Amino acid sequence: MLLGSRFACRLLAVFAATFSAAPAFASMGQPSPWQINFQDAATPIMEQIHSFNTFINIIIVAITLFVLVLLAICVIRFSEKRNPVPSKTTHNTLLEVAWSVVPVLILVVIAIPSFRLLYAQYDFPKADLTIKVTGLQWFWKIEYQTAEAPAADPSAAAATPAQAAAPQPDFEFDVRILPKEQVGDQPYLLAVDNVAVVPVGKVVRVQVTGGDVIHAFAVPSFGVKIDAVPGRLNETWFRADREGIYYGQCSELCGKDHAFMPIAFRVVSEPEYQAWLAQARQQFAMNPEPRTVADASVALGR
Amino acid sequence: MSVQQKNHRIVAAALGVFVLSMIGAAYAAVPLYDMFCRLTGFGGTPLVATAAPQRVLDRTIKVRFDGNVSAGLDWRFRPVQREIEVKVGETALAFFRAKNMSSKAQWGMATYNVTPDITGAYFNKMHCFCFDKQQLQAGEEVDMPVQFFIDPSIADEASLNGIDTITLSYTFFAAEPPVVAGTTSAPKL
Amino acid sequence: MAKSTTAHDEHSHSDYPKGWRRWVYSTSNKDIGVMYLVFSIIAGLVGAALSIGIRMELQHPGMQIFGDPQMFNVFTTGHALVMVFFVVMPATMGGFANYFAPVMIGAPETAFPRINNIAFWLLVPAFLLLLISMFVPGAAGSTGFGGGWTAYPPLSSAGPEGHPGPAMDLAILSLHIAGASSILGSINLITTIFNMRAPGMTLHKMPLFAWAVLVTAFLLLLSLPVLAGAITMLLTDRNFGTTFFKPDGGGDPILFQHLFWFFGHPEVYIMILPGFGMVSHIVSTFSKKPIFGYLGMAYAMVAIGVVGFIVWAHHMYTVGMSVNAQAYFVFATMVIAVPTGVKIFSWIATMWGGSISLRTPMLWAIGFIFLFTVGGVTGVVLSNAGIDRALHDTYYVVAHFHYVLSLGAVFSIFAGWYYWFPKMFGYMYNETIGKLHFWVTFIGVNLVFFPQHFLGMAGMPRRYADYPEAFAGWNYVSSIGSYISGFAVLIFLFGVFEAFAKKRQAADNPWGEGATTLEWTLPSPPPYHHFSTLPQIK
Repeated sequence: MLLGSRFACRLLAVFAATFSAAPAFASMGQPSPWQINFQDAATPIMEQIHSFNTFINIIIVAITLFVLVLLAICVIRFSEKRNPVPSKTTHNTLLEVAWSVVPVLILVVIAIPSFRLLYAQYDFPKADLTIKVTGLQWFWKIEYQTAEAPAADPSAAAATPAQAAAPQPDFEFDVRILPKEQVGDQPYLLAVDNVAVVPVGKVVRVQVTGGDVIHAFAVPSFGVKIDAVPGRLNETWFRADREGIYYGQCSELCGKDHAFMPIAFRVVSEPEYQAWLAQARQQFAMNPEPRTVADASVALGR
Repeated sequence: MSVQQKNHRIVAAALGVFVLSMIGAAYAAVPLYDMFCRLTGFGGTPLVATAAPQRVLDRTIKVRFDGNVSAGLDWRFRPVQREIEVKVGETALAFFRAKNMSSKAQWGMATYNVTPDITGAYFNKMHCFCFDKQQLQAGEEVDMPVQFFIDPSIADEASLNGIDTITLSYTFFAAEPPVVAGTTSAPKL
Repeated sequence: MAKSTTAHDEHSHSDYPKGWRRWVYSTSNKDIGVMYLVFSIIAGLVGAALSIGIRMELQHPGMQIFGDPQMFNVFTTGHALVMVFFVVMPATMGGFANYFAPVMIGAPETAFPRINNIAFWLLVPAFLLLLISMFVPGAAGSTGFGGGWTAYPPLSSAGPEGHPGPAMDLAILSLHIAGASSILGSINLITTIFNMRAPGMTLHKMPLFAWAVLVTAFLLLLSLPVLAGAITMLLTDRNFGTTFFKPDGGGDPILFQHLFWFFGHPEVYIMILPGFGMVSHIVSTFSKKPIFGYLGMAYAMVAIGVVGFIVWAHHMYTVGMSVNAQAYFVFATMVIAVPTGVKIFSWIATMWGGSISLRTPMLWAIGFIFLFTVGGVTGVVLSNAGIDRALHDTYYVVAHFHYVLSLGAVFSIFAGWYYWFPKMFGYMYNETIGKLHFWVTFIGVNLVFFPQHFLGMAGMPRRYADYPEAFAGWNYVSSIGSYISGFAVLIFLFGVFEAFAKKRQAADNPWGEGATTLEWTLPSPPPYHHFSTLPQIK
């Protein structure tokens, strides 16, 4: 038994090391071949998910190995050859209390960092920038809401509603999958025509809605995933601390081309972001009559 | 009928009633869920208030506005102002501009919610175009008002001290004309 | 109800219907049980074929066998619905529960034999409707319903964005009929267990399998009507202008998710609880020891059943629920781990000190305990909303629920099959073939599903017809595992054929002193009318 548990400890250590040392496999912002762990973290929330994952994996691997070892001992030591006369024990109060109480304690130990992580995800910091992401069959629409607020006087707005200029959002663009022949060195099925650019180290508020059916906005390296529900605005946020390109995929079944609507973010320095912003304002200058959702499926032309 | 058979029938009848009541419960969930959301602000459902609060706090919160139109309704619908800053407890008015881009009159009905959804319990609407179905004639453009305030009791909830922005979102869906054709196209305050 | 349905009256007939009448008109719980099992095997072959289609598509990146990704969605949806409603439930609550729960409690029949017959025969048209639905128009330009077994609106709606064709309506009708079948079956089983226990068979002496069936039947009665209500609302939304889930009429598509998962979460326990019961008896039989902590085992199942009704929204962490609601569902979900742990450790304690014979049923039962543990601990991971944010709707979830259901429930079904095969059919199966079946399945399914944990961690979303190159490696392994599992099914079928061909007569109790429940006191196979005198329980 002692030997068994020592062996289990060693195996456990190997396993835990495998799980936590996996960044050797991973690459930034996208999956890599034979990867067995999460994609690398680009945000503090994803880092917290990583460390919680390492923690909980040690616990669950230990529990699983414990059960496996117990089963192995039973099969070997209590085989009918070695133990022809079975015991008749059917109760052991101490044991029964123990295997009720110990799991409770383990769950409490899991719950503490778990709740810390959960509340961190919903602790919305002051946002530097708001983007609105709309899931459509089968592409995304991203709207940058960077416009300066008009004079913040509600009574003035009330007095002259018709005169207040309707502020068009700065710009919006569609994000569609790149066909295989156009991806270049980017990964096919992740690469998109228009990559959204955000500044490094800045809090980005992401508001998500759906235009037809339910989609889900997800970027693994940012640790965000939230459903895009028609008729409802959902909100999440991220603060990417590492520059690079980060891919995400639709994560709620939305019909035929569910697998073919990736989304991508490029995290850049503030000056680069400003340069991109200026250029994007030109390129994606708001169409005065924005495309309605109705022609989405036509536009896809798949 | 033997005693045993009678007992069987009693148990089966009880279970049958149980099954029917569960089907009833599923249907009852529809109004109950709606009521639950409206009463508690669950899922970011703003509350409806008839009177303005008694006190106004110094704390200000930025209220942002978001407008969407679903497929099947050929309207443009956008907030007139992207955001306004309001004092907690103060009644404020905001407008959304809607235009019927089609060549026929259309009815629309707006769904709404606020984010972060935890603030739903503190966001109160006194008047809103979303309370009724709206009709726009072909090419008609109107400004639709919403009058709201943020309940000062939000300050009593320590976990919401960090909230500095609330977004109020609407989505217009195509709707059937109301049964009683008394609603005018001009949204009433 | 005719008088002939009472046990007493039936005994007065000297013979019973022969030929096809015996089966089509059957009111015998044993014959109906066998029909359920045969039905489950046939549906299982269909479900397995669908899953192999899925794995063939995913064996390599790029579209492989489906021209249209929507066809892939139809396959995944069909696979899920077939496996849940037409394989696992008919096998456990239809087959084994009908055959053995009455026998184990010393009842000569079920309470409502004719309703039992109707319940079975409803399942056949339900299954046919589901199969037909795969071939009638669904989403624009394709056939079948491809919106997932969860059928969330608006994707399942009749709008152009959803499934305007009749495929969804047929699928809804299929679930209605299958649900009605299960509700009738459950009422029959509950009434039987409440009213027809042999003298002295108190609830606290009742075998654990009967306990499992009782709890499961109640779960069905509580949850299936909610599903029926929800899909009826969906049906009227689609066809009759109601707006339960349509925002334009004041409805809310999220409400469907709440209703669906109020059914859907108990449903997963419905699939696994009878397995818990079977595994308890098998472990006890082949360890030659009574079940350890009997009352704890029984009430752990009750606890799992009760708590299972207040955790549903852990399937909906990303839907936009308030953080406090999520925190509650995290807490409630974690609680389920405690009674589940009690069961796992009680099985091990039953084996501990025993005299274990590794016959085929025992192999399956031990395999069940281990694989269910693996699926259980990943369930604990997923219960945490914080990390579920990263894992929701990825292959990690697919791996998790296949470990508890495909490996868990299906292993328990095979354990029960081999355990009771000699009793049901009177022939011994071939031990070598049975063990080969186990090992090939064990290797195959682990190859299928273990790498899917890695895919999910790496971020591969589920229900994807095609995936980026980086996911190719583990997907290939998974597909190979699927073919090995498919081969194992052929071994299973051969084993059944071999047993019926060789006709090795089985003893009344082939398992010896460890098998203590009442079915082993009967001949193998039991006569048409078993227990002509009711057994007395001390």
